[in-house]
Amino acid sequence: MVAYGDPQTPRFESEAETLRAALSRAEGAAAAAYRDTARLIRLLTVIGTPSSPGRLIDRTLTVLSEVFAADVVCIAEAIDDRLFVTASCGLPEDDPAFTDGWPVGPTARRVITSGSAAARHAVPPADRPPPLRDVEGTSAAWIPLSGMGTEFAGDVLALYRSGGDLFTPADLQVLLSMAYRMYSAVESRERGAAIERLAQAGPGLARHLDVGSLLDEAVVLLRELTGTDAAWVLTVRDDLAEVAAVADAAGDTGKRWPRPATDLPGWSRLAAGEAYVGPNPTSDDPILLVPVMRDGTVIAVLAARGRRVRSFGKSSVEIAQVLASYLSVAMANGEHYRRLKAREQELHRRASRDPLTGLANRMTAAQRIDEALANSPTGVAGLLFFDLDKFKAVNDRLGHEAGDELIQQVAQRLRKVVRPGDMLARFGGDEFVLLINGASDLTDLTDMGRRIQVALADEFPLRGERVEVTASIGAVLGRRGTASASAMLRDADAAMYAAKARGTGRLEVFDDEASHRSIDRLDLRSDLSEALDQGQLSVVYQPMVELKSNTIRSFEALARWRHPERGNVPPDVFIPLAEETGAIVPIGAWVLDQACRQLAMWQREFPEEHLTMSVNISAVQLERGHGELLDVIRAAGVDPTDVWLEVTEHMDTAEDISSQVSSLRDAGVHFALDDFGMSYSSLAYLQRFPVEGLKIDRSFVAAMPEAGNGGRGIVRAIMAVADSLSMKAFAEGIETQAQLDALLDLGCGYGQGHLLSPPLSVERSTAALRAQRDRA
Amino acid sequence: MWGVRVLTSNRAYRGVGTGNGTDTRVAAEKAVNEALRPLEGRQPDLVLVYASVRYDLQTVLKTVNAAAGPAVIAGATSSGQLHNGKLTEPGDGIAVLALAGGGYRFGLGHATGVQADATRAGRSLARAALDAVGPERSPHEAVLIFSDGLAGDQQELLNGIHKVTGFQIPVVGGAAADDRNLAETFVFAGDKVLRDAAVAIWIGSDRPLRVIGGHGWQPTSLPLMLSGVDGQIVRELGGRPALEVYKENFRPRVTDHKLYPRAGGYHSEHAFGLIQPDGSLLIRGAFIDSDGDLRTFSPLPPFSAVQVVSCDAEDLLEVGERVVAGVVEAEEPAVVLVFDCVARLDILGERGHEEARRLQRAAGNAPTFGYYTYGEFARTTGVAGYHNATIAAMAL
Repeated sequence: MVAYGDPQTPRFESEAETLRAALSRAEGAAAAAYRDTARLIRLLTVIGTPSSPGRLIDRTLTVLSEVFAADVVCIAEAIDDRLFVTASCGLPEDDPAFTDGWPVGPTARRVITSGSAAARHAVPPADRPPPLRDVEGTSAAWIPLSGMGTEFAGDVLALYRSGGDLFTPADLQVLLSMAYRMYSAVESRERGAAIERLAQAGPGLARHLDVGSLLDEAVVLLRELTGTDAAWVLTVRDDLAEVAAVADAAGDTGKRWPRPATDLPGWSRLAAGEAYVGPNPTSDDPILLVPVMRDGTVIAVLAARGRRVRSFGKSSVEIAQVLASYLSVAMANGEHYRRLKAREQELHRRASRDPLTGLANRMTAAQRIDEALANSPTGVAGLLFFDLDKFKAVNDRLGHEAGDELIQQVAQRLRKVVRPGDMLARFGGDEFVLLINGASDLTDLTDMGRRIQVALADEFPLRGERVEVTASIGAVLGRRGTASASAMLRDADAAMYAAKARGTGRLEVFDDEASHRSIDRLDLRSDLSEALDQGQLSVVYQPMVELKSNTIRSFEALARWRHPERGNVPPDVFIPLAEETGAIVPIGAWVLDQACRQLAMWQREFPEEHLTMSVNISAVQLERGHGELLDVIRAAGVDPTDVWLEVTEHMDTAEDISSQVSSLRDAGVHFALDDFGMSYSSLAYLQRFPVEGLKIDRSFVAAMPEAGNGGRGIVRAIMAVADSLSMKAFAEGIETQAQLDALLDLGCGYGQGHLLSPPLSVERSTAALRAQRDRA
Repeated sequence: MWGVRVLTSNRAYRGVGTGNGTDTRVAAEKAVNEALRPLEGRQPDLVLVYASVRYDLQTVLKTVNAAAGPAVIAGATSSGQLHNGKLTEPGDGIAVLALAGGGYRFGLGHATGVQADATRAGRSLARAALDAVGPERSPHEAVLIFSDGLAGDQQELLNGIHKVTGFQIPVVGGAAADDRNLAETFVFAGDKVLRDAAVAIWIGSDRPLRVIGGHGWQPTSLPLMLSGVDGQIVRELGGRPALEVYKENFRPRVTDHKLYPRAGGYHSEHAFGLIQPDGSLLIRGAFIDSDGDLRTFSPLPPFSAVQVVSCDAEDLLEVGERVVAGVVEAEEPAVVLVFDCVARLDILGERGHEEARRLQRAAGNAPTFGYYTYGEFARTTGVAGYHNATIAAMAL
């Protein structure tokens, strides 16, 4: 029965209730203790985790929002009567708090000035930031950061919670200690990051060899390293400071520049090599100035303007000073380089210019021609090569100085002819080269040539005289891919000589189509002029055989040219060249001399053979004034009657050769006509030239054995002609037994050819003669 | 770029449709057509799509896009869905909500690379959604998000979003799920099916937008310090091996209700509660993986104060009702969006259908529309707002 029950039960229930309540309180207290400990540890963990300063602040604010259930956590700096938020968790990124700031409430103001933290519940409207203006029952805590060291003076950490509990004194303790640690960490990381950045970028400054770009990079680096809005680099020269580079968010450098360096704030400190941090006289913003020194003198000043003093703590100053010393070295480098460059340019100018006229010189001209070939849009470059006719006469008559003066005057006039983009060069002496910009065809070249002639048409006043000057001009068009500067210059030069050959004041265009042929010829021409001196020429001897007895009766002397690079150059190539250039005169004389001396030697050794010698001569050799061939023959010690001179049908029988021909003929020298039958004028020629022998051309000999082509008939006819005129007939180019048989059959007395013997050296010729003598 | 939808009428029209079975196209067509029918030919402004990973998701979105025209379309894969008081069990189902009118403005944005940098992804996602909604701001705003539930730190994602929204704009949403496979989850943005991504819809409204979350879990342990965390693995609790401490604090089995089949050693009856500044708990699901490690879905902050928590079905059901009733205020909304953790469904077992009915009852005439998630977002106070084993809701 339970009447009023067991008194134990209620007591038990009430005790259990009490115990449960106590347990709950204990659990609650334990939870609170763990929560407080956990949040401190979490904050410290975040602060201790390696990250950038910005990320550290961001993470810390996020964790603060989490562990204090704060709607808004922010770091703000007080500037005048406004709080500018610099970092936040809980404000949208486009909130005006970041740009326009909030009014500094009375509590925040007190916290900043007193340096003590504060917390309020049911924050009055004046202390509520705009986003929480309408939220009654807001709790907030303000933690001053100004006491943490000068770097962060004026900064405050604020937490706002809509509704919820008061921030307790214990909370404030956690926040204070956390804020201190966070700022220490931020400071050391900012410093570490700045030093790292400086270590990376500083040495790289020296790569700027141009001072302008160096300072442009330095100023950006300065702004970045000091974390300011605006930075400049001022250069100081002759006590005047001038803005050389600017990195300014507002684009405002303040005063007029340049201005006396002594007007800079803290100049006395700067001049002593020390940094200046202090008020900027033109505004309330603090300013940092760090001198860049060289040899104890300020050469530049790094300047940074912050809107907060925190920008210029000790570490900012130190870092700016390190930057200044890097900059000093880099500027010195830059100046050395500039001087070096200027000297190089002067040297280059001297190397590339003709000192007399200031025109481009030979080397520059060649470069420019190659560039024009490479870069011309049409792929064509036009070139004129010209010299002054009879300049040598001026030089000889008035002296070299007058000659130089004339060259200068000519250059002056030519400058007026050239158009932008053309290049006029003096090649040396009286030679000029004009590269015509945009030339596309020969008309452009001839037009320009005419302009040059017109420019030179007026007489030149020189040493009280008036001198007439004309130019011989060679013109050439070069095409990209096939032409080169050297080839074009050579061709234009050749064309100029051709022009000169036609008279004065002429223009000759180099024939593009013929260029391939003539390039070789031109090369050979010049080489040939030296061949004799270089000992590259030799003489070989081809036996002329009495066919019937197969006995050597004579030799034909043949010139050979062994070119050092090209090897043996065939006579049908180099002989015409020698005739063109006139080199045939000395070469021909030399060959005749060699042949006659050799004949003399053989006649001494083989007197019984009655040997004779045939030597080819050119018409030029017979011209008056080119030496007497008879003298050469006599000097060699042979009887002129033992010498046959071979001439060709093409040889001009002009008046001026006939006298020498007569004297040779009178002395007993014989003439033979080479390659007889190859010209329609053959027979007429025989009437005018004292010829005593005919050489039957190899083409007729070759045709003899073939049926039905008349070869044999022609040979027979030539022999008949020879016979009727009392001339000897010689067959050339006997190469087969059939040809030999046919010639014997026709009664041809003499012949030569590979079947009988190829041209031989002296030694082998001598050996052949000995063998012949032994055989006999 | 995603367009912004501005409404012509203040009255909201909405429809909810579902489809199931093996044929993706048939299921998707049925769901979207059903959802559009009540709109009586009006162009929808917002279309939400929840689908089982069993479907060809590209086809699902293609079908929905074809039918829904230029609406803002978003959604996620699910582990079951709930709508109009009905439960679609994990492994099946496509659910579509179509909404027109109501004075709302929607801006859609998405971002990938959540795994690599969740904060950055969150920030760019929110910026994109804000850009899409246009420069004109509404008196009330909220952000609805879907995230790849298996990619990255979901609270970090929220931190990034928070930088753009600030504290005044609530965030609600869910992490995508995959029918408890814990293999791959996807989110939808327009016609895109994305992984390692998140999607946000910036919502502008003339009426207040209320976000509420609740869980109903109770601590079974004293507070503990999370002294060893290695990503998603919890190594130490209070200086001791975590698994040992965790198991010590399991609640003795008093009821013998049937649980859904578990996946991968997932143990839903217990979880961690992160102790919040106000003493409340933020639930973080935990399970023992095949290596025998105690693992969470998202990394827990090191040195957090936690408690082992457990729950019973009745508490979960009551909390759900309270959350839904809380978002349905005096004016009857067009729809109640629900993000319900699949862990709750696991614990409710057969009573899952009862939950769906009770949530609908709490919502009154407004249809409920939701899915079972791998994580819920309900950020209202402070930056913290990622939950597990929680139910979150917002009414439109």
